[in-house]
Amino acid sequence: MSALSLLRRSLSTLAATLLLGGAALADSSPLVTTDWLEKNLSDPKVRIVEVSVEPGLYERGHIPGAQNVVWHTDLVDTVTRDIASPEKFQALARKLGIDKDTTVILYGDSNNWFAAWGAWVFDIYGLRDNVKLVDGGRKKWELEKRLVATNPVPVKASTFTVAEPNRKLRARLADVVSVVEKKSDARILDIRSPDEFSGKIIAPAGFQELALRAGHIPGSVNVAWARAVNQADGTIKPVEELRKLYAEVGIDGSKPVITTCRIGERSSHTWFILSRLLGYQVANYDGSWTEYGNTVGLPINNPAGTVWGGK
Amino acid sequence: MSLSDDSGALDYHRAREAAAAGATGVPVAPALPPVRLVTATAVILALAAAIYAVGAHGDPAPQLQLSLILGAAFGFVLQRSRFCFLCIWRDWLDRHDPRGLLGILTALATGLVGYSLIYGAWLPDPAGARLPPTAHIGPVGPALVLAGLAFGAGMAISGSCISAHLYRLGEGSPTSPFALVGAGLGFWLGLLSWNELYLWSIADSPVLWLPRHLGYAGALLVGLTVFAALAYALLRSLPSNPIVSQPRLTPLAAIFHRRWPAWVGGLAVGLIGIAAYFRLSPLGVTAELASRSRQAAASLDLLPSRLEGLDSFRGCATVIRDALLTPNGLFIAGLVAAAFAAALIAGEFRPRRPSTGQALRGLIGGALLGWGTIVGLGCTVGTLLSGISAGAVSGWVFALGLIIGTTATLKLGRRLGLLA
Repeated sequence: MSALSLLRRSLSTLAATLLLGGAALADSSPLVTTDWLEKNLSDPKVRIVEVSVEPGLYERGHIPGAQNVVWHTDLVDTVTRDIASPEKFQALARKLGIDKDTTVILYGDSNNWFAAWGAWVFDIYGLRDNVKLVDGGRKKWELEKRLVATNPVPVKASTFTVAEPNRKLRARLADVVSVVEKKSDARILDIRSPDEFSGKIIAPAGFQELALRAGHIPGSVNVAWARAVNQADGTIKPVEELRKLYAEVGIDGSKPVITTCRIGERSSHTWFILSRLLGYQVANYDGSWTEYGNTVGLPINNPAGTVWGGK
Repeated sequence: MSLSDDSGALDYHRAREAAAAGATGVPVAPALPPVRLVTATAVILALAAAIYAVGAHGDPAPQLQLSLILGAAFGFVLQRSRFCFLCIWRDWLDRHDPRGLLGILTALATGLVGYSLIYGAWLPDPAGARLPPTAHIGPVGPALVLAGLAFGAGMAISGSCISAHLYRLGEGSPTSPFALVGAGLGFWLGLLSWNELYLWSIADSPVLWLPRHLGYAGALLVGLTVFAALAYALLRSLPSNPIVSQPRLTPLAAIFHRRWPAWVGGLAVGLIGIAAYFRLSPLGVTAELASRSRQAAASLDLLPSRLEGLDSFRGCATVIRDALLTPNGLFIAGLVAAAFAAALIAGEFRPRRPSTGQALRGLIGGALLGWGTIVGLGCTVGTLLSGISAGAVSGWVFALGLIIGTTATLKLGRRLGLLA
């Protein structure tokens, strides 16, 4: 073997390593760009799933090939106020043709709130690393005037077997109470707006599900979810900026985190950022303020001093 | 007191007879006073400018712009084909002229086929617990029958349904403005009685969607069979040759001057309905009017603070919106403007000073229309047309109540000498 061919071979190996390394790096991110998605629309191992809250949005035009998941019936149990049961989730994943080796790309309206809720439920049932969000969601896809489709694309059902639910990702009332009672060293991050946090208002106008009291869980800190997002296109800010943003209120990954909001949907957006992008140990508290704020016998913190929503 | 028929039905009938008689004469050439043409041109240009402006500055622009365009198309079609549910029903009742009814059947059949096509894409399996997005599929129960009866009575008294009042506003009808004000009052009365009706019946009324039980093919087959049977029965009363020899019309006169055959209007209405459902939301003409009435009543503290379940039903939603421009608002604006332009060109814009009787009948009839609209979650367009097209049982039940209410009120009113 000549020196030249040896050199050529080493160079090509190096190039391949660099290329693969680059690809692996892109693949390991829990976010995909709209550009990447458009190039990978026809990849059979990619399953695109829209999780929007507004009814009829998916039907009137979605990312070509995307399947539809209805947040308030498919991913929750309306009778027990719970996330979908393992059996229900397994049936849903099978119907969507999703298995452990499928790359699941979630997106939706309202800044991916419900898509992030979807990612959280997927994670609880054992689908984590291959589940990604489209950075910017529907909003960015539409802003960039990319193609949408309305005709359904049939998918072949999978034989996915659901994992034992990962309890670490979900906080229950008892977990929150033990933080309040200082029996646990977890930090509670409330991502509602400053006015909800301070107790000036119970919830933003137009929201149906309310608590009797206004205010927040004692000891919790406030970073409104929107601060993690670029307002122009709904994309998530760079990781270093995010790390700083949360470190300012003492959320730096050194202690387990509990994210909370009103019903747990906006907080799953922050859960996604902290858990998947920053790699912190985070549980989402889906009971949130509508559970905690309504519970008899639990203390709240209400700097605004409102009583039953008034002064 | 006997009042003239201001629906235009008699005029239309006479015009048709005149046209038939004067078959060999000069075609009905529109002798247009220039001022009418100039005004019509101005209205059309203003409409075009509005469509452009909404497309450039609206938010969300595509929806608002398309609403305005479809509203204008709808208004033009309604005016040109005299797509007025009451006039059509009276043609049948008084003269056994089935052509208008055949037009309605055309609209329904077209709508049903179009909706089925869209459904297949949006909700491939109709058997589950889901309903196709936004389709007007409402609860079926005694309250819906009451709504249909009231709406029918309101039509008979005020001389039109709400959509026809809107296009006849563009024809300068003396009754329509009063009927629309009356409807505003009726919306409020409907909202006031909503909670009680909801707890009495609506909450337990099933939401019945035919494709869920029959499949898409079954629902389509049943619907089209019913339409075909009705059409067959109606065709038997069609005069063998109603207009002996049609005067030759220029295409322009056929479109802009002569009334369209009802089936052409029906076909166009059906197609506009499909377009609206595909791109925006099911056709309806009361959402904006009712939600503005609700907003006004709520701001005056004239409404219960909660309207149980109202906003969770499918139909012409009355949810209060803060936006100045809403899709349904622009739809109505386009409807009235286009009907006005069409009436001007055709020489059918005939504003008259309203008599006390017309004003009273407009207000009372309008109030019944408004009440029926709230309780029935829509009117002849939103509940009947968009409902039957959607495969909703509620559309059929509302239609039945409407026919009974109209017929009974007309007969009673005529016996008492109150209605023409």
